Amino acid sequence: MAEQQGKGGAQNFMDQKKVRNAELLIPPNQLKAKIGSGGIDETVLVKAQELLENNTIDFKPIALMLVDVLHEAIADAKSGATVGEKAIEGMLYPAMQLKAQGGMFHYPLISEIANILVNFLETVVFVDKDMLDIVVAHKMSINAVLGSQIKGDGGKVGRELRDALLDACSRFYKTRKNS
Amino acid sequence: MSYQFRNITVLIVESNKAMFDITKQVLIAFGVNQVYSAYGYEEGFETFCRLNPDLVIIDWLEEPHNGLELTKRIRTDEKSTNPFCPVVLMTGFSQKKRVLQARDSGITEFLVKPYTARALYQKIEQLVERPRHFVKSENYFGPDRRRKREEEYKGPDRRTTEQPVARPVTQVSMSTALQKAKDIKRKHEQGGTPDDIKMEDG
Repeated sequence: MAEQQGKGGAQNFMDQKKVRNAELLIPPNQLKAKIGSGGIDETVLVKAQELLENNTIDFKPIALMLVDVLHEAIADAKSGATVGEKAIEGMLYPAMQLKAQGGMFHYPLISEIANILVNFLETVVFVDKDMLDIVVAHKMSINAVLGSQIKGDGGKVGRELRDALLDACSRFYKTRKNS
Repeated sequence: MSYQFRNITVLIVESNKAMFDITKQVLIAFGVNQVYSAYGYEEGFETFCRLNPDLVIIDWLEEPHNGLELTKRIRTDEKSTNPFCPVVLMTGFSQKKRVLQARDSGITEFLVKPYTARALYQKIEQLVERPRHFVKSENYFGPDRRRKREEEYKGPDRRTTEQPVARPVTQVSMSTALQKAKDIKRKHEQGGTPDDIKMEDG
């Protein structure tokens, strides 16, 4: 039996070898040729990080626009204008942008809420009312943070909000697992 | 002597101006003085071909043509001025399946937003100091997707010189597997690592 498996395995290996026809290329390292060696000074990195942290970009109008996109995607999913994976993708893109940009532009709480939503949307497999209720809860939370202009982690309220959303997602997973 | 960033041209393909502005500021702080912008897939590819930059930083971008498709186009379109150009994908996605999707599109590095200046620098440093070989096959053209290449290994390539030998498979019952798992958990709780447990066959 083991011998048969061995022969079969060898045959599979040979077949695989036949179809794999890849060529390895070594392109010239143009970046190295232009930049040289030596890295950069730590003070440059510190200065660059300060620039990031002290940026004065007003995120609120950008965030409101992304929340609008999310709102429309939810409405499309509710009405059936988009279904399945397309409906999920429609909600996922603005959520991902809120996560990415909230953290860059002084709204880490929005970034965290959006991150919970991104993880949720990456995991769900189909759209239904319960699932959309959870997305709406995230959208409302983000709206609330924007309305109250909570910059920073939101302290105790922020923690409670995050915990409540995580709990809602967790309960959703449990019901789906049991059904 | 340190990196001479002033010698390179960087193209940032973003979905919004605020993200472009902030990334440009960081690159200027590094010393890059030629940073160009493009918004979306079409403008991104047109600007890439016109400027022939040394490095491209691409956002995930909105459908129908996202940043992964733009990367594929840079790698495979006959109009592309440099199919080998390093591409850093910057995105809010961080799930493994997204990283794999991005890798299969031909990106060189993956950077999660929100990012730090150090994280961006480290990605660029990787491109400079550890450039990837390229793989050309029937259905893929782009950087070698295997992260670690054993450059130092000088020995024979077993896969091409030896006949493959089927490894014997040992059947393990569910109860044995469960017991092993419990042992690992117990050891873990006692402060040890799973490596401390010897997985004996049978």
